[in-house]
Amino acid sequence: MAYTEEELKKELESKEYEYGFYTDIDSETFPVGLNEDIVRKISEKKKEPQWMTDWRLEAFQAWKEMEEPDWPNVEYEKPDYQAISYYSAPKKKDQYESLDEVDPELLETFNKLGISIEEQKKLAGVAVDIVMDSVSVATTFKDTLAEKGIIFCSISEAIQEYPELVRRYIGSVVPPKDNFFAALNSAVFSDGSFCYIPKGVHCPMELSTYFRINQAGTGQFERTLVVADESSYVSYLEGCTAPSRDENQLHAAVVELIAMDDAEIKYSTVQNWYPGDKEGRGGVFNFVTKRGLCHNRSKISWTQVETGSAVTWKYPSCVLKGDHSIGEFYSIAVTNNFQQADTGTKMIHLGRNTRSTIISKGISAGKSQNSYRGLVQVGPRAQHARNFSQCDSLLMGNDCGAHTFPYIETQNNSAQVEHEATTSKIGEDQIFYCNQRGIDTEKAIALIVNGFSKEVLNKLPMEFAVEAQKLLEISLEGSVG
Amino acid sequence: MDLKDKLLDSYIAFEEELGPKDSIQQLRTAALKTFEQKGFPSKKEEAWKYTSLNSLILNDYTLFPSSEKAVDLNEIKHVFLYEVDTYKIVFVDGVHSPFLSDTTHDGLDVCLLSAALTKPKYSDLINRYFGAIATKEESMTALNTSYAREGAYIYIPPSIVAEKPIEIIHLATGDQGPVWLQPRNLIVVDTNAQVQIIERHQSLVEHQAVTNSVTEIFAHREALVDYYKIQNDLDTASLIDNTYISQDTNSHVSVHTFSFGGKITRNNLNYFQNGERINSTLKGITLLQEKQHVDHYTLVHHAQPNCESHQDYKGIFSDRSQGVFNGKILVDKIAQKTNAFQQNNNIILDDKAKVNTKPQLEIFADDVRCSHGCTIGQLDEEALFYLRTRGIPKKEAKALMTYAFANNVLESVQISALKKRINKLIAQKLGVNMGFEL
Amino acid sequence: MLTIENLHAEVDDKGILNGIDLDVKAGEVHAIMGPNGSGKSTLSSVIAGNEDYEVTGGNMLFGGEDISEMSPEERAHKGIFLSFQYPVEIPGVSVTNFIKTAINAKRKAAGQDDMPAGEMLKKIREKSSLLGIDSKFLSRSLNQGFSGGEKKRNEIFQMAMMEPKLAILDETDSGLDIDALKIVADGVNALRSKDNATIVITHYQRLLDYIVPDFVHVLYQGKIVKSGTKELAQELEAKGYDWIKQEVAG
Repeated sequence: MAYTEEELKKELESKEYEYGFYTDIDSETFPVGLNEDIVRKISEKKKEPQWMTDWRLEAFQAWKEMEEPDWPNVEYEKPDYQAISYYSAPKKKDQYESLDEVDPELLETFNKLGISIEEQKKLAGVAVDIVMDSVSVATTFKDTLAEKGIIFCSISEAIQEYPELVRRYIGSVVPPKDNFFAALNSAVFSDGSFCYIPKGVHCPMELSTYFRINQAGTGQFERTLVVADESSYVSYLEGCTAPSRDENQLHAAVVELIAMDDAEIKYSTVQNWYPGDKEGRGGVFNFVTKRGLCHNRSKISWTQVETGSAVTWKYPSCVLKGDHSIGEFYSIAVTNNFQQADTGTKMIHLGRNTRSTIISKGISAGKSQNSYRGLVQVGPRAQHARNFSQCDSLLMGNDCGAHTFPYIETQNNSAQVEHEATTSKIGEDQIFYCNQRGIDTEKAIALIVNGFSKEVLNKLPMEFAVEAQKLLEISLEGSVG
Repeated sequence: MDLKDKLLDSYIAFEEELGPKDSIQQLRTAALKTFEQKGFPSKKEEAWKYTSLNSLILNDYTLFPSSEKAVDLNEIKHVFLYEVDTYKIVFVDGVHSPFLSDTTHDGLDVCLLSAALTKPKYSDLINRYFGAIATKEESMTALNTSYAREGAYIYIPPSIVAEKPIEIIHLATGDQGPVWLQPRNLIVVDTNAQVQIIERHQSLVEHQAVTNSVTEIFAHREALVDYYKIQNDLDTASLIDNTYISQDTNSHVSVHTFSFGGKITRNNLNYFQNGERINSTLKGITLLQEKQHVDHYTLVHHAQPNCESHQDYKGIFSDRSQGVFNGKILVDKIAQKTNAFQQNNNIILDDKAKVNTKPQLEIFADDVRCSHGCTIGQLDEEALFYLRTRGIPKKEAKALMTYAFANNVLESVQISALKKRINKLIAQKLGVNMGFEL
Repeated sequence: MLTIENLHAEVDDKGILNGIDLDVKAGEVHAIMGPNGSGKSTLSSVIAGNEDYEVTGGNMLFGGEDISEMSPEERAHKGIFLSFQYPVEIPGVSVTNFIKTAINAKRKAAGQDDMPAGEMLKKIREKSSLLGIDSKFLSRSLNQGFSGGEKKRNEIFQMAMMEPKLAILDETDSGLDIDALKIVADGVNALRSKDNATIVITHYQRLLDYIVPDFVHVLYQGKIVKSGTKELAQELEAKGYDWIKQEVAG
């Protein structure tokens, strides 16, 4: 029986739940700075086996030799990596007594998104103090999953409980030395999730339902590993439409997906970290490495809706190693005010008859800069590889920028690669047409933007798509005078 | 000695040879400094990601070939567009050949840059234009600037229409071993004037020849410039072509680049639009075989409102050849109502051939229509089969389809004799004898 | 219903309408004819509230209310509908989605709740079958890739859905073949009632064979130079516009 988000909502209204997801760690915080000792201590705190400690140390050694990349089309003051504390227990946020004490602006946004009162409390850090039932939602989920043999737990727990699985796959898609931020993450990752779908199992629920609640407490160096064994299927939903007022300036996450023969992974992300204020002060730096490895006849599909963060640097990629494997990337990136996004994908065609599709929709408003950067590479063995890319940009106002940097590298004469890109604005004639039908300008813009983004919105799980649609409207509010 | 050191060390002698009359001495020394700091571009640089000059710069070259070898006109006739009457500025191993040239000062100037650089009557023009748009930061351009001495100088006065095309031809004889040539062209087309120019670099025998060429073109208001680059050199010759174009209001500049040969060819083609209602056209056919490598790096900078640009590059790649297309459209905030289009279509015929393409849009204005598209694919097997069922042999059928593929670019060639010539060249490359014209 | 007095309007400082008087009552059909460039489309845009045109003088009353300062959407909420000569494309927004949004915006302005989904669906079915519109058509992106006929039919479909008090049909016949013209005209006629009014703007008399007007006005150089009944349209068809031009000059 599939567990729907609707059912979850109902359950949340009547039952209390507990996290039960992160392993319990005490609230000690390490001194700022990063050195070998700190890495050792993180590993020690998490009671990790020696191999894991060594793995982290190796990553740290590599990181020390690396330089922070400056090729993305973004400008920001580089963080001082020695001024960050690399280990702290999940922050005990200031707890409010009731919703009345929470920032009304935040609550209004919650309401626009249609988030239930209980969830609002959780997300805003309001203490929820009535325990109605000892059976937690989380446990209910865990039981359903366990019946199928699905492992879904925190990565810390997985290192303890399933060391063989973790050891086999961690770093196999994004090697610790892959890039500056991946190396940093490998050395100091605090927590994250691990998911394993056994052979032939079709995961009965969106793995979001569970995660969404938990997301608000996620650390800044998150590590996710999803393994779909032969002929299995999983749809994984990361992120939250609710705005996260996270204090952490720097987020450097790593996500690795492995789709074995005939498996399929659908990974959807909604990223709505704090984008900074209207003057461009503050906001999260979101530097993420996401990559999936496809074996024979498998499929990995990335869908992302990026509306948050001050600076985004993110290229969810597919390594199409297996013959007949399929990679997909569907993205909407919205930037407003002073936000900067440099995002796109890499499709690496190695196997025969591999196919990839890229649909990217960039919307820039305010004084923001929005770049698509993508690579389609067809290797010499990749006979009959196919790619289709479409990158459309929509500009709102005259102080923002839209940029397209597609790299296409082909070493095979049977490849078919097609790339199309357009840049346009919302036409005054379109607005007038809507106005004449009684639709006001703000609503007309929302309608046009949604139409522009439709191909990508359609790829999201239904209930999430509705929220994402509202999120787009909220992100662009006040962007046209 | 390392080539970079050699180039730096040779400068003192070069400067002495020029003497105190040199009007661009300051420009040269500044440029040399840039080259000293930056050196030869490497693949680490984004702009040179797909093209390595290593195989060129490891050799030793004669930098200042001196003697002029007698060239038999019959042997080189095919290099010229002999079917029509043209002005000609011809250089042999970098040295002007009066015998082969046909220059003029009658109503327009078609002559030598060396003359323009040294004669006082040109000094105003030189001060105003020379080095004005050739980027100072780019190291190959800087290298050329520091050694710029010879090339074509063309000035078309206001409202003059050059009644015949101008050919700029560089021949390399191989007489002096490996040569490193650095021609420099300056072309000024004044208000409402018109000109057609054909540029060609050609080795006469197989020998190491590297040409690092810089051309500056100024198109004033209402000017019309129609420029053709024919690159069909031997497999031992390489070309780094840097062309900078500045356009004023209502001007129209079109550059066609036909890249059919050479070892390594790099075309840096830069357009700067400095007025309104400008039209810029960039087209090219790249048809490569063996281990040839061609890299098109284009920039169109839309800096004023109401302008257009059209780019259309077709590439056909056989054997182990490599093609690169890196096109950038930059639209400034004030450049509203810009229409910018870019197309890059490629066909790969053999499995060892490679294509890398990177069409870029950087847009800061909101009321624009910009689009780019690129494709990499093969000849349509079904169409090929169809043609063969109609009795057309495979090779000819392939050639026919290649023609059709490239036809968009060919049909906008304004000089019909040249169009025929290029048709013929394509047929030759494809190894067919086509009894038709497209 | 609609009273226009001495209306002047200009675009880019150029006078297009130079004193229009027009009185349209409930239940009436008015045809406005005139040669190209006479100001026909400007008149429809100005009534609908297109801000590209500046109203420089005169009055516009709709239901006794001055509408000249109202935004286009307010006018739409009051019941003015313009069938565009060149309907605009909105990629990714389906016909259904668009019309739902429009109807609910109008209801919201009137203090009503959204139309229940079932009722909306029923209405869409009813009106689309009236105009012979295929249900597949309804899920296509608004006007994108539509043929000329499909665009016009879609405009009339929207009109049927929105049930305006005053419908202005701007060159609805252009680009239609005779069959499509009949379907569109049948649709318009089916929607006529004693409570609503229609203004048909056209260059040719052809459409008026199917949508029979009560009054015909001839617009020339931004003014109504001649008014009459449907016979005037036939006279125009027979004699051409030169006749009017001469009359004005003389």
